[in-house]
Amino acid sequence: MIRMLGWLAALALGAGLVMAFGVAPREVIQGNVQRIMYLHVPTAIVGEYVAFGVLLVASIAYLATRAEAMDRLGHASAEVGVLFLAITIASGSIWGKPTWGTWWTWDARLTTVTILLAIGIAYLLLRGMIEDRERAARSAAVVGVVAALNVPLVHFSVYWWRTLHQPPSLLKPGAPSVSTSILVALLVNVAAFALLYAYFVAKRVRLLRREAEALA
Amino acid sequence: MPDNWGYVAAAYALAALMLGAYWRHLVRRAAALARPRPAPRSQGRARP
Repeated sequence: MIRMLGWLAALALGAGLVMAFGVAPREVIQGNVQRIMYLHVPTAIVGEYVAFGVLLVASIAYLATRAEAMDRLGHASAEVGVLFLAITIASGSIWGKPTWGTWWTWDARLTTVTILLAIGIAYLLLRGMIEDRERAARSAAVVGVVAALNVPLVHFSVYWWRTLHQPPSLLKPGAPSVSTSILVALLVNVAAFALLYAYFVAKRVRLLRREAEALA
Repeated sequence: MPDNWGYVAAAYALAALMLGAYWRHLVRRAAALARPRPAPRSQGRARP
């Protein structure tokens, strides 16, 4: 089942690359460098909203029920979320150089997403720092909730402060502000990265369960 | 605006590297867990 999910994710990523480089048109103002968007935006959507959303639900469920499966799900989701966010920040920085003229600026969106990444890393570090597994899981769940509560701040940062980063084109009220061909290519890539997230999380959850069984 | 293909290639190559490294890390950990663990050492006296 997990292996099949992996093949499905690989196929979808291949389709995403074809859409990004073969089907989506060359952007009029930015030129071909805008094709970084098909990597930057999907990893941001899946890394921020999906991964940290799952972390929030799993953390609350763990605090309410103390079910180890929920702890493992939160742990796996945070790990993959941190990976995706790191890719978002790295690809955004590379995209920023030719378009903004700088690799990095302390813009509200960039700053809030970096804080989210830092809390995600803190969540993972905390798990390794506390020896008692039950206490580590409980503390991590609290940090998981705090991390996820930061997501709305990241989302609305482009509205609340004057930023260099553009407002959302997809996750906003009303119709998306991009052409249909760009939108389709973007959605295929969002689906591909969502499948990759699901594959990584499933694989990581299974590993965590086996590690726990080996320790018991 | 020039196309800046170098930046596009760098972004995708870096992402592929990061995702590939994570996948490899998961596969290696799974393989290490699947290997049979060595039996615990006996508490007897060590030979000189």
